[in-house]
Amino acid sequence: MYSVLVNSGLSAEFVALLPRIETLVVVLFFGLFAMSFDFISGYTGYLSFGHAAFYGTGAYLVVLAANGKIPMLGPETPFMLLIVLAGLAAAVVALAIGSVSFRLSGVYFAMITLGFSQVLYVFVRDWDFVSSAPRDGVAVTGSLDGFRIGVPGVDGLSVAIGQLTGDTIEGLFGFIDLSPTEVSFYAIGAVVLVCYFALQRLVHSPFGRTLIAIRENEERARAVGYNTYAYKLAAFVVSGFFAGVAGALFAGFRRSVTPENGFYFLVAGDALLASIIGGFGTIAGPLFGHLFDETVREFLSKEGGGGGLLPYLRANVGDATLATELYNGLTVAEAIDTFLNGHAALYVGLVFVLFVLYVPNGLLGTARDRMGGTLAKAVPRHVRRWLNE
Amino acid sequence: MSVAAAVPSLAASTLAVPSPSALPLQFADALFEFLSPSTLAEVFVRGVAEASLYVMIAAGLTLVFGLMGVLNFAHGSLTMLGAYIGGLVLVAVVGQSSGGAARLLAFGVAVVVAFGLLAALGGGVEIGLIRPIYDRPPLYQILLTFGLTLVLDEIARILVLFYGLQPSTVWQDVLGTKPQFLAASIGVGGVSASGLELFQIAFGVLTVVGVHLFLTRTRYGLFVRAGGEDSEMLSALGVDVRRVFTVVFALGTGIAGAAGVLLAWDPSWGASVPLAAETLLPAFVVVIVGGLGTFRGTIVAAVIVGMVDSSMTWWFQNFIDFTGLPEMVVFLVLVITLIVKPQGLYGVSEVGGH
Repeated sequence: MYSVLVNSGLSAEFVALLPRIETLVVVLFFGLFAMSFDFISGYTGYLSFGHAAFYGTGAYLVVLAANGKIPMLGPETPFMLLIVLAGLAAAVVALAIGSVSFRLSGVYFAMITLGFSQVLYVFVRDWDFVSSAPRDGVAVTGSLDGFRIGVPGVDGLSVAIGQLTGDTIEGLFGFIDLSPTEVSFYAIGAVVLVCYFALQRLVHSPFGRTLIAIRENEERARAVGYNTYAYKLAAFVVSGFFAGVAGALFAGFRRSVTPENGFYFLVAGDALLASIIGGFGTIAGPLFGHLFDETVREFLSKEGGGGGLLPYLRANVGDATLATELYNGLTVAEAIDTFLNGHAALYVGLVFVLFVLYVPNGLLGTARDRMGGTLAKAVPRHVRRWLNE
Repeated sequence: MSVAAAVPSLAASTLAVPSPSALPLQFADALFEFLSPSTLAEVFVRGVAEASLYVMIAAGLTLVFGLMGVLNFAHGSLTMLGAYIGGLVLVAVVGQSSGGAARLLAFGVAVVVAFGLLAALGGGVEIGLIRPIYDRPPLYQILLTFGLTLVLDEIARILVLFYGLQPSTVWQDVLGTKPQFLAASIGVGGVSASGLELFQIAFGVLTVVGVHLFLTRTRYGLFVRAGGEDSEMLSALGVDVRRVFTVVFALGTGIAGAAGVLLAWDPSWGASVPLAAETLLPAFVVVIVGGLGTFRGTIVAAVIVGMVDSSMTWWFQNFIDFTGLPEMVVFLVLVITLIVKPQGLYGVSEVGGH
């Protein structure tokens, strides 16, 4: 699909506009993390600002196990098992943090989860067991094989993922050729899809309805007879599990993790961004939100190395325009460089502020409001009405 | 290090100790040294100096929360902007003159300018961005200020990069050298404290007294205290609550700016874009430990956090080989306080609608 668009007549425009496949892989696993964040914060109303703790736990568990640092988990442990173990480890951490934190509510809850995650962050950052330079993070040093995602025990159904080390597939069904990153995209996508369905199932179960009741009016939910503490804690543990899985996928793809991209509180901030842009209290929303976020980031900053606005403008704006002086010796070229070179966070922040002010329900939430129901139900209804007219 | 390699447990790997049997003995030695009067006094003075910094960066946050119930995530970024503005003023003014008294005067000018500029910015932010969403759940105010942080940090990064502020030698000279009497260390009876620490303590005390006088002696302070209790009733009594909100928000951000100037002068902090997150987190710890929105709690919590920080820094330098020790213990203080007293030390439940 991507290659078709890129090879079309408007190729330069598409390269500039569309995110690259590497970005989309990030969208998948980080989207899962944002979903797990939304599952607790969007559905119970408790803002978990320390959610990065679970993501980091999952990621570190995978990298440390691959380096043979964890007793009883050798470097040969299958990745599918590691994913589950990473989720379970994160769930245990979530149980410990949640059992203490849910005595609090509101801002205090956000702060105690932030406090726990920062304790873990500082600890991992300075713990020399992790690696000789824990501040710089750890990379997988043991083997050069990719981590395999698939059905355990069935070789034909597993593929290796990884930014540089994954499988390539040539000639599937005679015409499909996939690069290592594309293979990773589909393999990670499969795991994320399974997790999405699981979360979706939970949200639409009586358990999920109770969570919404807690969000809307906790006192009334308690008065009706629900043990709200147990429900909130269970939701927190489930959310921690999926955050750990997301962290494991992240570590499996990147093959390294640092305290900054695993445990730091701004990682949870990014998930918050994705949830708000996509729609708070919708499971799929955060995925779209993060897709939007990453697309904006990549479009507006050349950090991605691929397409984006900056190379496009450089290539397609005439030299005379570039040399025009705007203000006090600042030429257009310099202005483009200054404002577009790696400063996407500025625009993401602006978009975010605008969303909070004017689109409080996010992309998916607003779409649902417009269509009157979830998209899966509303879209066919609208299409049918059009066809009948 | 052999111990650390053999036993990968928490205790063994974080303490770089020659052999397990010598550990209790060394610990006793270190404890003995720590408890000696001169060490304690030094740690105490440094703790109070740290506490004044913490009170400076947290006072604005607590004022804003106490009245409006808005947890301002952009507070750290405002402190960071204050640091840069203060640095710029110092560079501009000190470039004209030198000498201890002149530098101190320049510092005063920098504080006033940073306070004024940030108060104006804060007022604008309150009117333009926060006022439209007061009636939404508090979550949205947190989100909005969080977005604001991203924008402010990135703008600062662009400007600093574009003008090449930090690499310039003038910047480094001016911010690196202090007046003589601040750089010197003053010793009384075997206890030494640097002039800068004493200066910070003086500055912190001045801020505390100033805010206290504002809250108890001025008309606006009265409105703030009343508005924290019941802002609807306050507006029913004919007070323009919206203007009070704007003024208090401006004041809170102004204090953040002044704190930033102080930090820019401190060699262990300095002006940098990551300063935003580095000050935001301790400010949160102080405000939450004290109990959200209570000024008295903020002062007590700042003293506690300052003391813990300075004594843990001593332990890290002398006995425990774990770089993150002071930082980690500060967050542990937050967690333990919230477990023991869920509303903070002086907090009341239901402050500001939470």
